[in-house]
Amino acid sequence: MRTLAPLASAALAAAAAAQPVPAPTPAPPPAAEVRQCGICHGRREFKQVDADGTARTLWVDERELRRSVHSKWHCIDCHADVDRIPHPARLAKVNCQRCHFPGNPVGAPEDVNYEGYVKSVHGRLRLAGNLKAPACQDCHGAHGVVKHTDPASQVHPTRVPATCGRCHVQIFAEYTTSAHGISLLEKGNTEAPSCSACHGEHGILPAKENASAVSATHIPETCSTCHGMTEFNLRYGIPINPVRTFRHTFHGIANELGSARVANCASCHTAHNVLSASDPRSTVNPANIPTTCGRAGCHPGANANYARGRFHIDPSSRDAGIIYWVALFFKILTISTLAGLGMHILLDLAKKLRHRHHGAATRD
Amino acid sequence: MTDQPSHLEKAIAEQLHSAHGLDLEAAARRAADMQHRLAPRFATWVRRELTILESRDRKRSRAQAPRPRAAAGGREFQRFSLNVRLQHAVMAVSVIFLILTGLPLKFSDLAISKGVINFFGGPDVSPIVHRVAASFLIFVGLWHLAYIALTREGRAHFMLLLPRPQDARDAWQQINYFLGRTDQRPRFDKFSYVEKFDYWAVYWGMVIMIGSGTVLWFTNQFLKVFPKWFTDIAKEAHSDEALLATLAIVIWHFYNVHFNPHKFPMNPTFITGRISEQEMIEEHPLEWERITSGAPLGPADSRPVEEKGGQR
Repeated sequence: MRTLAPLASAALAAAAAAQPVPAPTPAPPPAAEVRQCGICHGRREFKQVDADGTARTLWVDERELRRSVHSKWHCIDCHADVDRIPHPARLAKVNCQRCHFPGNPVGAPEDVNYEGYVKSVHGRLRLAGNLKAPACQDCHGAHGVVKHTDPASQVHPTRVPATCGRCHVQIFAEYTTSAHGISLLEKGNTEAPSCSACHGEHGILPAKENASAVSATHIPETCSTCHGMTEFNLRYGIPINPVRTFRHTFHGIANELGSARVANCASCHTAHNVLSASDPRSTVNPANIPTTCGRAGCHPGANANYARGRFHIDPSSRDAGIIYWVALFFKILTISTLAGLGMHILLDLAKKLRHRHHGAATRD
Repeated sequence: MTDQPSHLEKAIAEQLHSAHGLDLEAAARRAADMQHRLAPRFATWVRRELTILESRDRKRSRAQAPRPRAAAGGREFQRFSLNVRLQHAVMAVSVIFLILTGLPLKFSDLAISKGVINFFGGPDVSPIVHRVAASFLIFVGLWHLAYIALTREGRAHFMLLLPRPQDARDAWQQINYFLGRTDQRPRFDKFSYVEKFDYWAVYWGMVIMIGSGTVLWFTNQFLKVFPKWFTDIAKEAHSDEALLATLAIVIWHFYNVHFNPHKFPMNPTFITGRISEQEMIEEHPLEWERITSGAPLGPADSRPVEEKGGQR
C-alpha cells in the first residue's frame, strides 16, 4: 500500500491535469434545489431584453429536462459556475466535457469524438472565438438532449438536415428537393443520406481539405458507401455500379491518382442537389449535359454531342452498347494472339530442352 | 540475274559433282538443264532433299568442329543500317515511356501505379510526358513511311517484309520441327515469318494507338463533331490495344531477342546492326547463300563487315 499510494496519487494528478474540470459525483438532484432554479427559470415569461430590444427567453421547460438523458442531474451540475443566487447575468457556455470524457466515473457515454470535433471546421472556428460556430449543445440540443436513436433527437438521421440547416440555410433548401432529401425527409427512408452520412459527424472538414470525406479525392469513396454496392444500386433502379464505372473513366483514373482538377461525382451530379438523370432539373439530364460538362475549366463549348452516348460505361456489360463489342473484339484478339505466341515460345523452349536432354552439342 | 546460275542450280551442280563424281562443268550444265526443265514441284522436292543432305553434313561437321561460332571464322554482316537502328531506338524509347505513363492508368487501383505516375510528375504532368513520347512515336512512324517510300534500301526492305505464302509454309514447318516431326528447320531469307509478324503487328498497333490516341488527345475538338460514343470507342480501343501491345512486347519480343536461351541476355544486333556469320547461316540461310554466291547484292542485303569481328 505504501508503494502504491504515490502511484495512485500520481495517477490522480495526471487525470486531474488531463481533465481540468473534476467530475461531479452522481447524486439525484434534491428537488428543492431544482425548484430554487425554477423559481425564475420555470416561468414562461422569464426573459432578458437586450439593449437593442431583442428578447431572449430564459425559460427552461422542466418537462423537457425530465424527458432528457440528463434527467437525473441537477442544473448546477452543468451550469457549474452558478455558486450563488442571484447568479451573474451571463453564465459560461456549458462544458459537456465535464462528464463526457473517456474513462469518466459517472457513466456518461465516452466522448471519443471530442478530438475530431476540435480538429473539425466547427471546432476550429469555435476555439478561434467564433461564437456562431456550433458547440455540442447547438446540434445535440441543450436541455432536451435525448439519444440520437430517438426520433425526437435533433441528431436523429431524419432531423439532422434541419439541424444543420439552421445555419446552412441555402444548402438545406437544395438538399430538401434532391433525391436524397426527398427520400429521407418525405419518405422517411433512413437508408438515404442525411448531411452526416457524407460529411461525417464530429470531424466535419471543409471540402477543400484533402482529409475531408467530401474532398475531391474522397468523394468517390464516400459515395461508394452506398453506391458501391450492386444490390443497393439495383434497389434504386441504378443498373450499373456508378462508382466502379467512374473509376475506369479518365476522370476516375486521374481522381484515383490524386488529381483534384478532374470531375468527381459531385462535379457532375452536384453535392446537394443530386437528382435522377431522368429528372429535367437534374444536372445530368441529357438536356443539361452540355451546360454541366461545359463549366469553366472543364470542357468549355460543350455541345449536345456530349450527351450522345452512355455514361458510366461497363465494357463487360451488354448495356455498354458498342463499347461492349469493341472490348469483346480486343479481348478475343488479345487472348488468341497471346495464346498463339505463347504456344510458339513454349514449343521452341520444349524443343531446345529436348535437345539439351539428349546431350546434343548442337545449337539449333 | 538470268545469266547467273541460281542458288538452286549451284547447289544441284555441287551435289552432282561431289556425290556423283561429275566434273564441275558437266555438273553445272546438268544442273542448268534440271533447273530449266524440271517441274517446279520437282525442283522443290530436290531443294528439300538437298537441304536434308546439307543439314546432315553440317551436323556431322559440327560434331567434329569444336564450336560452330568459331568455325564461322568470326566474320560479321551488317544486317541493319544506322537509319533502321535509329528508327528502332526512337520507337523503343518512346514506347517504354508510353507504357510507363499509360499502363498505370489502366491499373490505377494498384499502389504501384500511383508511385509510377508520381515519378512522372503526378496525374497532371504525366499526361504531358505521355504526349511528348506519343509525338516521338508519330514522328518515327512518319520517318519509317518516308524511309520505305523514298530510299532504295527502305523499298527493298519493305519488299522483303511483304508476307508471302512461303511464310505460312515456314511457320508450319517450324511447328513440325518443334514437335519433332521433321529434322528440317525452315530456311529463312532476311526476314523470317516471326520478324514479318513483328513488323506488321507494329503497323496494326500504330494505326490503332495513334488513331485513338489523337481522339483522346483532342477530345474537346473531336466532340465538337463526333458524338460521345465515338470518343468512348477511342478510349476503349486505346486501353485494350495498349495492353495487347505491351504483352506482345514483353512476352513475345523480349523472348525472341532477350530471353531466348540462344540470345540471353540480349541479341546485340539492334545496337550494332551486325550479325555473326554463324547466326546468318542458322537463321537467314537463304540470305547468306545469296550474299555468298557472288551475285550482286540487293539494297537490303546484309553486307559482310570487312574488319574482323572476333569475340563479342
